[in-house]
Amino acid sequence: MDLLNSHLLSLILLTPVAGALVLLLIPRDQVGALRWTAFIASLVPLALSVVLWLNFQPDIAGYQFREDFLWFPLVGSDYRLGVDGVSLPMVLLTALLAPLGVLFSFGVQDKVKAYMILFLLLETGSFGVFMALDLLLFFLFYEIGLIPMYFLINIWGSANKQYASFKFMLYTMAGSLGLLLATQVIGLTLGSFSIENAVTAWPAWSGTIAGLSATTVRAIAFWAFVIAFAIKVPIWPFHTWLPDAHTEAPTAGSMMLAGVLLKLGAYGFLRLVLPLYPVEAAAGAPVLATLATIAIVAAAFASFGQSDFKRLVAYSSVNHMGFVALGVAVAAWTAQHGGAQEGILALNGAVLQMFNHGLSAAGMFLLVGVIYDRTHTRNLDDFGGLMPLMPVYGGLLLFTSMASLGLPGLNGFVSEFMVVRGAFPVFSVLTAISMIGLLMTGAYILYGIYKTIYGPLNTKWVGHTSDISAREVIAWAPLGILMLVLGLAPNWMVSVINAAVARLF
Amino acid sequence: MSPELVSLTWLIPVPPLVSFFLIILLTNRSKALSHTIAIASIATSFVLSWIVAFAAFGTPHFGAEDAIGALSVPWFDVGSGAFMMGVLVDPLTAIMLFFASTAMLAIFVYSVGYGNYGKKLDPHDKPGWPAHNGVDPLYSRFFAYLSLFAFGMLVLILADNLLLMFMGWEVMGLCSYLLIGFWYARKYDDPNKITPRQAGVKAFMTTRVADVIMLLGIVYLYFATGTLSFREIMFAQEGEMLRHLASTPSIVAGLSQASLVGILVLIGTIGKSAQFPLHTWLPDAMEGPTPVSAMIHAAAMVSAGVYSVIRMYPVLAADGLVAHAAEAAGHAAEAAAHHGPVITTPMGVLAFIGAFTALFAATIAVAQNDVKKVLAYSTISQLGFMLAALGIGGYVAAAFHLMTHAFFKALLFLGSGSIIHGMEHGAHHAHDHASDPQDMRYMGGLRHKMPITFVTFFIGGMALAGLPIVTAGFWSKDEILLDAWLHAPAVFYTLALAALLTAFYTTRQLWMVFFGAPRSPSAEHAHESHWTMTAPLVVLSVFAVGAGWLNIPADFPLFGQLVASLGLEPGWLHHFLGGTLVEHPETPAFTLVPLITSLVVALGGITLGWWVYRNAWKTSSDVDPVERTIGGVIYGLLKNKYWVDELYDVLFVKPAFWLGRVFFTGIDKGVIDGFLHGVAWVSVGVGNVFRDYFDKPVVNGASDGSGVAVKWAGRELRPIQTGRVQQYLIMVMAAAFVIGFFMWAAR
Amino acid sequence: MSIPLSWYLALSAALFSIGVFGVLSRRNAVGVLMGVELMLNAVNINLVAFWHYGAFGPSTGLAFALIVIAIAAAEAAVGLALIISVYRRRKTVVVDDVNLMKF
Repeated sequence: MDLLNSHLLSLILLTPVAGALVLLLIPRDQVGALRWTAFIASLVPLALSVVLWLNFQPDIAGYQFREDFLWFPLVGSDYRLGVDGVSLPMVLLTALLAPLGVLFSFGVQDKVKAYMILFLLLETGSFGVFMALDLLLFFLFYEIGLIPMYFLINIWGSANKQYASFKFMLYTMAGSLGLLLATQVIGLTLGSFSIENAVTAWPAWSGTIAGLSATTVRAIAFWAFVIAFAIKVPIWPFHTWLPDAHTEAPTAGSMMLAGVLLKLGAYGFLRLVLPLYPVEAAAGAPVLATLATIAIVAAAFASFGQSDFKRLVAYSSVNHMGFVALGVAVAAWTAQHGGAQEGILALNGAVLQMFNHGLSAAGMFLLVGVIYDRTHTRNLDDFGGLMPLMPVYGGLLLFTSMASLGLPGLNGFVSEFMVVRGAFPVFSVLTAISMIGLLMTGAYILYGIYKTIYGPLNTKWVGHTSDISAREVIAWAPLGILMLVLGLAPNWMVSVINAAVARLF
Repeated sequence: MSPELVSLTWLIPVPPLVSFFLIILLTNRSKALSHTIAIASIATSFVLSWIVAFAAFGTPHFGAEDAIGALSVPWFDVGSGAFMMGVLVDPLTAIMLFFASTAMLAIFVYSVGYGNYGKKLDPHDKPGWPAHNGVDPLYSRFFAYLSLFAFGMLVLILADNLLLMFMGWEVMGLCSYLLIGFWYARKYDDPNKITPRQAGVKAFMTTRVADVIMLLGIVYLYFATGTLSFREIMFAQEGEMLRHLASTPSIVAGLSQASLVGILVLIGTIGKSAQFPLHTWLPDAMEGPTPVSAMIHAAAMVSAGVYSVIRMYPVLAADGLVAHAAEAAGHAAEAAAHHGPVITTPMGVLAFIGAFTALFAATIAVAQNDVKKVLAYSTISQLGFMLAALGIGGYVAAAFHLMTHAFFKALLFLGSGSIIHGMEHGAHHAHDHASDPQDMRYMGGLRHKMPITFVTFFIGGMALAGLPIVTAGFWSKDEILLDAWLHAPAVFYTLALAALLTAFYTTRQLWMVFFGAPRSPSAEHAHESHWTMTAPLVVLSVFAVGAGWLNIPADFPLFGQLVASLGLEPGWLHHFLGGTLVEHPETPAFTLVPLITSLVVALGGITLGWWVYRNAWKTSSDVDPVERTIGGVIYGLLKNKYWVDELYDVLFVKPAFWLGRVFFTGIDKGVIDGFLHGVAWVSVGVGNVFRDYFDKPVVNGASDGSGVAVKWAGRELRPIQTGRVQQYLIMVMAAAFVIGFFMWAAR
Repeated sequence: MSIPLSWYLALSAALFSIGVFGVLSRRNAVGVLMGVELMLNAVNINLVAFWHYGAFGPSTGLAFALIVIAIAAAEAAVGLALIISVYRRRKTVVVDDVNLMKF
């Protein structure tokens, strides 16, 4: 029990790796054993995360469940983990989505062993980013998540997988180069890679490097950080890797990609960019807000113009993350220019939107995966009036679509309302323009439903498609329940987030 | 209000929500169980609503600080505080609960008969298509959606803050989408005819345009006041916050914060209550089953739109408070004398749009042949009346007309459903597939075939036309005209003309449907509907007649004293509803001109309609007398709704699709990915250049070259090895000589 | 009158040069050996001259010269033996013809 209390985060972090190692030992033809072992290995972090949530005390400032071990004393980097009100929901989200992804992946037939191992490694990478309190550790886990995702897309993806996986990997890595360099600068000038230390010491640092003043160095490092995270979030116009990667990835891969990996970028903004570069971030906030608004509008239109269902959902991810980016921009601006209430609301909304989008995007990708497994096509024009053939699926699709659309009563509305409330007084014109995006969100969601389950029955599917299976419903159910609960009574999560966010203002 | 009653209040929306989940998750297969659960749930809400409403009616000075019901809980934390959500029962809520729950219960019961419950499932009927003569295949789902709709409406009515109201509003938007598109698989041979699923999308998207703008208004109000609670903003401290809103300039030049919020919120109503220019969804919403039309267009959704502006009226009128105060400060003598409500900017916009739409829609209704479309346009027109009334400061008049309209419009829609059912049965019996059961040109003489429907529909129609004294519509419309006459003559004339047209087209409709001889075999063989359909009609007609008597003004000739002598309070509604506002609105003094006008337009319109149509429509292919009078071109303009839909298609719908393609194919794939591919191509090119021009020649070349050089050197030095001793000796000599020289030089 | 040292050195140099010339340019191997003998003898003259004209011990130069003579004799014997061995094999005593060790 003491092990549990003092090393809870490490346990959550390393259980999937341990599971992967166990999987190595299982022969590759024992598919059932592989699947269930992987499932259990991903359930353990979920149980532990729930324990983490219940024992977390929002009223205490700072990070909790800290762990601190020597790692690279020579450069000042330690194995330091901790969670606060912003990272805790992300940990919970990752812990929730991974077992659901594994459960859905029971339908994968070939190279199951490799698949499950890669999936578990992906989970660890994601956990690490959210828990790390050390810049080098952060970067390590940030990059670690890329490799399994690359292989998941490259081997188990659909038609255009080579292009998509390559683009995803190269693009993200290219962005991370600047991040690495800037991280090194911070670590070496401050003598330590600790994030908590950097937050107080870095903005105040006033030395020179190679003849460049501290302000210049900070500005360059700021842009390096921003580029890296902007690619990941993704912020328009750095988003084009996303439609390809999401579309070609296997369903569970898309769930994790949309549900978790995108949040790494947004989390990087919150955890690193805003605290380390308050002045530069405030100066860049209008630009970020503009790009976020363009993302909201352009992605909504692009989604509307799709004929591939999965790509439609992929663009909806860009659209929703645009709200996160808008909230971050507002927070950055108000931290320096006043308007704390707007900043708090916007940031609360942004973090909640990260969690909510994780749920609804994962749900949508899961449902698209269901229909793809049945019909082997994602082309919206091929479907038509499937509701009588798949009534349960139709109901679940309607529900999840409404959450994605931001229907009040479901989770998406709460976070979008909070972001809009925070953004409107600060960036009024941009928020008004983003309403066009919100309008088109309704359009593309309805379009997806229109083509898939409504309309005259397309007789070619009669007798060739079955309704959603129990396993798939069970994989969806936690998402659906949380969507409803968070829509009706969001405060169990918002209070935790708010307690951490309010301290920043 | 007693705390127990208040805690009962939040229970009111719960049964329909429970019903929705139960039907969806559990009882979907059993039709009987589903409708029983649904009707039981709405009945429970109905009973609770009436209990709360009548408790409110009986409370003196209901609406003052201590005499309302309120309960709220924190919904999400913000900084050190929290955003609160809860229920509020004030006079306006009580009135809404009273009529909305009644209408919704009637609609639920009606739906049992409408869905052909009791008949067997016809094997030719497919899910997603309307049933021909069997029970509807998706019967249970209908009740589930209807329950969710009721939930949304009740949440909206009981909300104590603008956000919760908006949430109920949006839930109803979803339900309207689901219910209008209920027959989702239906398609028509005529490609220009809108299908139900398209109509559902149209409704959702048109109202969403308004909703996103309204959201900005809500957000801005939250920002300006730090709260969205109705009482806090509009009532607390004698409306202090309203004055603050009215005197603070907003981010839009020239508008105070109150005006900006008012305009943004009323845009939401323009969408939800189908006013021009966002009216186009409502007529097409007729594609949904008729109980849905009744629900959406009478009891719930469009009422929600009007309710929201009524609720927000103090904010819309807030500028007037500041104007009055300025007046009072400057001219103390006149301060006491109010010259009627100040028409602020948002109110002016509302009045204009309301009045315009009232007339606009009435002109279109004259030229419609589908029985439901006439009612649709009349709904748009009547909503225009209500909004115009509110815009000129007729707070009670607007609410009054909202209530009476809910009753008689629900009655009319349900009646039309009964008519259509009768026609369909007739078509089935007579094997008539040529006549459209909804087209009035094929009806006629139905008063003999469907007497109950006839009487109730007649009552509803007369209420709509405003038949004096005996119908509720008269009293509410009269009050609106009175307010208009006193405060805004332009609105008065517009509304009077619209009222005339209303009476005219209603009489036209009554004549074409019920009088004359049947014009098709379907009409010949039509028969009366099931009791589950006719009983609600009867109940509603009672209200359509009686609801007007709630607000007979005390100074009305003859009837004012009649009501008082019966022990009832004349103008009760005015007095009761006034408690919602900080300052009771003044009762407009009785004036003869508006009354005469009401009588003239109502009776005149009815008479004109009878006179024009009494010899018209002998066969289904006749030309309408109006068309003959005003000419085919103008008639065509009216019949085609002024081509507004087509205009929107060109202006908005097609560009949206085009933009969708542009953003994906053009920008993302073309520009951005093109850029990235270009970067990739350049990188590969640079790599190739490095390989071909540096790596291969220089680096490889260097390492290859060193080998070659060594080989060359060896080959060149080889000839020294001649094998001849004397040669070697010469070389020795030479070397010794050189060394000796250097040794000599270095000494 | 005494003979200056330089005359002896000149003589020795001349002999040495003739010997070098002989070594380097004679075709016949025996001739080369003769040249080598000349060089050795020149060295001897040099040694003895320096011994006589310098302040050295009674037998320093003599010893050195005797050693040189002995070595010269040995070397001539070995050299002639080699030439004979080469002649028996290759039927020639021309130095230039014995060039098997070329590239």
